[in-house]
Amino acid sequence: MEMNWLIVKNDFKRNKVINLALLLFMMFSAGLAVSSVIMGVQTFTSISELYEKAQPPHFLQMHKGEINQEKIDAFMSDYEGITYWQTITMINVHGESLTVVGNKDTYNLFDCRLGIGLVKQNETKDLLLNSKHEKVIIDEGEIGIPVLLKEMYGMEIGDHVILTHNDVQKKFVIKEFILDSQMNSPMVSSTRILLSHEDFDMLKGQVGEKEYLIEAYFTNSKEASDFQTAYENAGLPQNGQAVTYAMIFLLSAITDITTVFVLLLVSILLIIVSFICVKFTIMAALEEEFTEIGTMKAIGLPFADIRDIYLNKYRILAMVGVIIGYILALSTSSIFTNHIRTTFGNIRMSPAVVILSLVVGCFVFLLINYYCKKVLKKIKKVTVVDALVRGKGFDKDNGHIKDGLYKSKKLPVNWLMAIREVFYKFKNWIIVFAVVLIAVLMIMVPVNLMNTFEVPEFITYMGSSLEDILIEVENGENLETNYGRVIQVLESDAGIESYYEYRRVRVQTTDAEDELKNLHIDSGDNSGNQLKYISGKAPDEENEIAISYLNANEIGKDAGDTIVLFYDDKEKEFVISGIYQDVTSGGYTAKSKYDFSELTSEKYSFSVNLKDNIEVEKKADEWSEIIGPGVTVDPMEAFINQTLGGVVKQLKTIVSLIVIIGACLVMLITVLFLKLRLAKDLSEIAVLKAIGFSELDIKKQYLIKIGCISIAGILAGIILTDVLGEKIVNLVLSISGLGVKKVELIVDPLVQYILVPLLLLTLMLLATWIVLRTIKRYNIISIINE
Amino acid sequence: MKTILKVQNLCKSFEDTQVLNNINFEVEEGEFIAIMGQSGSGKSTLLYSISGMDRPTSGNVLLCGKDISKLDDEKTSEVRLKQMGFIFQHSYLLKNLSIRDNIVLPGFKLGKLSREQVNQNADTLMVKTGIDSVAEHDIKKVSGGQLQRAAICRALINQPDILFGDEPTGALNSSTSREVLDIINAVNTEGTTVIIVTHDVKVAARAGTVIFLMDGNIHDKLTLGKHDGDEEKTLFREKRLYEWLEEKAF
Repeated sequence: MEMNWLIVKNDFKRNKVINLALLLFMMFSAGLAVSSVIMGVQTFTSISELYEKAQPPHFLQMHKGEINQEKIDAFMSDYEGITYWQTITMINVHGESLTVVGNKDTYNLFDCRLGIGLVKQNETKDLLLNSKHEKVIIDEGEIGIPVLLKEMYGMEIGDHVILTHNDVQKKFVIKEFILDSQMNSPMVSSTRILLSHEDFDMLKGQVGEKEYLIEAYFTNSKEASDFQTAYENAGLPQNGQAVTYAMIFLLSAITDITTVFVLLLVSILLIIVSFICVKFTIMAALEEEFTEIGTMKAIGLPFADIRDIYLNKYRILAMVGVIIGYILALSTSSIFTNHIRTTFGNIRMSPAVVILSLVVGCFVFLLINYYCKKVLKKIKKVTVVDALVRGKGFDKDNGHIKDGLYKSKKLPVNWLMAIREVFYKFKNWIIVFAVVLIAVLMIMVPVNLMNTFEVPEFITYMGSSLEDILIEVENGENLETNYGRVIQVLESDAGIESYYEYRRVRVQTTDAEDELKNLHIDSGDNSGNQLKYISGKAPDEENEIAISYLNANEIGKDAGDTIVLFYDDKEKEFVISGIYQDVTSGGYTAKSKYDFSELTSEKYSFSVNLKDNIEVEKKADEWSEIIGPGVTVDPMEAFINQTLGGVVKQLKTIVSLIVIIGACLVMLITVLFLKLRLAKDLSEIAVLKAIGFSELDIKKQYLIKIGCISIAGILAGIILTDVLGEKIVNLVLSISGLGVKKVELIVDPLVQYILVPLLLLTLMLLATWIVLRTIKRYNIISIINE
Repeated sequence: MKTILKVQNLCKSFEDTQVLNNINFEVEEGEFIAIMGQSGSGKSTLLYSISGMDRPTSGNVLLCGKDISKLDDEKTSEVRLKQMGFIFQHSYLLKNLSIRDNIVLPGFKLGKLSREQVNQNADTLMVKTGIDSVAEHDIKKVSGGQLQRAAICRALINQPDILFGDEPTGALNSSTSREVLDIINAVNTEGTTVIIVTHDVKVAARAGTVIFLMDGNIHDKLTLGKHDGDEEKTLFREKRLYEWLEEKAF
């Protein structure tokens, strides 16, 4: 034992570089695995704890206009499965009514495209919480601002918020930043600001427009969909969006779920790289020890003893690496969980996370241990003669390249030597190939995901068409009047290139269990034309209908099937022309060209394209002013930026981090690999120099080798990104049960085919050039004197 | 006769140890020089310094009138490729290449002749040295003597002006050693200048001139004259050399 320890100690002294590299890779593997666990668990526990404490509704119907609470109460109490219901009053104000006076500057929220609702705290359910997940109590003159607005504008506790509406002006001081379980994301079009009961009651009726949130809770949240049909059929208030629990969850958490997904993907890829490197480094270290292994065998040490000498060393390295990795992961986890903490609250790391991460740490240690044992098995096959007499290494295939160099007619010698080695001895270079491939995959999948979120077309995955301006006329007493006003404006404006009109109607159909279910159809000439279809196509004929993915799941039908719609005491058969993805209106929509003239309209929407020289935002503001309340006029681009801006911003931060990690990784691996490779090639290089090759020739050969391998790795990485990237993303999407099942990743050709390959190639060649400076020392004399 | 190599005031030291002290000698075209001396006398250091494998600390080495001791790496490599051939004690062939590929490599690199011509020259050399039957073989699958002959072919492929040898038969048995020496002698007879370092009297006896090095200085020189391959004369040369060396307590 003492002797083993002595050997290990001496080895650490002797092979500092290799041992340090091994330690780093083991540390990296353990650190990443632990970080991933912490991040994954923290995300889901934070979200679920917020949901548990805040209790968002299982079904939410927003409504503008008057309500009959008694009728609602009667319906709710009769409906089986309901455990609780409440109607919340919200005062909607425009961003321009709010001015923030901060320490440094004063600004108005006029540019906020989110609907802002002033509310008071609820009693037991749908609570607004602080970052510790405690119910926020606000006193008179104080205000609770959602973290969403805090992030957008950089507000601070103690800043003043001045509400100005008509003749009313009221000043508040920010007391808390609040977490809103159902309106926590910019993807939800509204956000809630918390006031004290006194202030709320005082302002009610004086400022803004009242909107009601009718909320219901069930024994099982999945009943929400059936409930929605019953609720709508009962003719209860429905002048606004209806949302179910699943959709609330999705919209609030999409940014963080995307983040966790990307980080987990990167972690897994990096762990694979680390393991490849551990194996490679151990092999390189053993190669160096080949003579020693031979000597130990020659003096009669059995395989198990020799293996244990090395195993002990790797065990010590692995233990130290895993412990440092674990500590690093624990201390840096806050960087990755920062957004989660801001959005979902600052919960403490639960003992479960600590234990689980410990288990993962131990698992990594055992895995490395097992891996080392497997690699060390190679010692068994080493014979004394191989090691001491023939000077053979572990590499079985160390013979010459069969395809003779002499056959070459033209290729310059440096290219010839380099390409032959890379081509015929590819196995020797596979680690560089694998690492580059993984780096490309690691960088490109998140980059493409970010591109996809960033391009305006992404909105078509969400059930909206892509136009300059989207006008929505919400349900209510003035629906038809408002509709008339919109038509009047659109008909008279010369700046319009074209516009399409959609009318939403409600019909019924039967679901997979043969129960009646409401279907909201947007009917119009252009309906469904600009959406992305998972299967089938947009409806062409009047008897065709396209249904959303979530509807298709519930109804249990696919493109090409027929569907019977019940409306106005009639039934009509339609052919399902296609299935599209939708996250708007709760994800349960349909599109048809048939006009359903017998039915009253639920809603009107218009997609408008302006002429090229017209400023979209200005026009939207102008129309908004003319048409007045009850109609929302949204410039599409601004709307998209606000809805998807959060995801894109978060992804941008991660992508930058990943690009840096990827770049460092390829450089680190290139340096490490090349150092070990040069040590192995020492005598070959010295011989080449002796027979007349200059240092520059040798450098050229290595640059060509690394260049070829990098290009091969990059190409393979790009192909894999194209083939697998979308599959990975879509797999995650289908697992998460969102309204989106299939996303076509958008590739930016400049980034994917030019910038990223060029960046990686340049960095690798640069690293190669730096390492190659050492070949100056390589000399045949030192080889002879060895 | 033309002077091919001129060594002027050559000194070489490693840290505080002076290995070569002010060495001066000249080599004429077509000469065969053997450098002898006791271990540590500086004979290998001298060979490396005059062949451009190592840089002298001071002094000049003029090859065909051009000082090669001050050239940069690129120029030194060019000189090695064009004008010099080198045979080491071990063959130092490249393991990724077959015997033939190892031989043609410097020829391809020089690019003076077409690749077909280089291949033909390699064939001729291999036939001459008797390794044509193993041309396509892996270097691990041939004997030490065959490897050393391949190394000689590699050294000669660019028809160098001068051939250096550092104990070229040091790792070979006596019969193989004799065959290799015959090849070197033949090369010399064809006009190539040869300078070798050896501690073996039988090898040195093949040279026209023997330089004896002691403590980094040229202690003495013995002229044996051109070796013509006659066995009796060879024995006589060896005897003469023995006696000469005995005087130096070698």
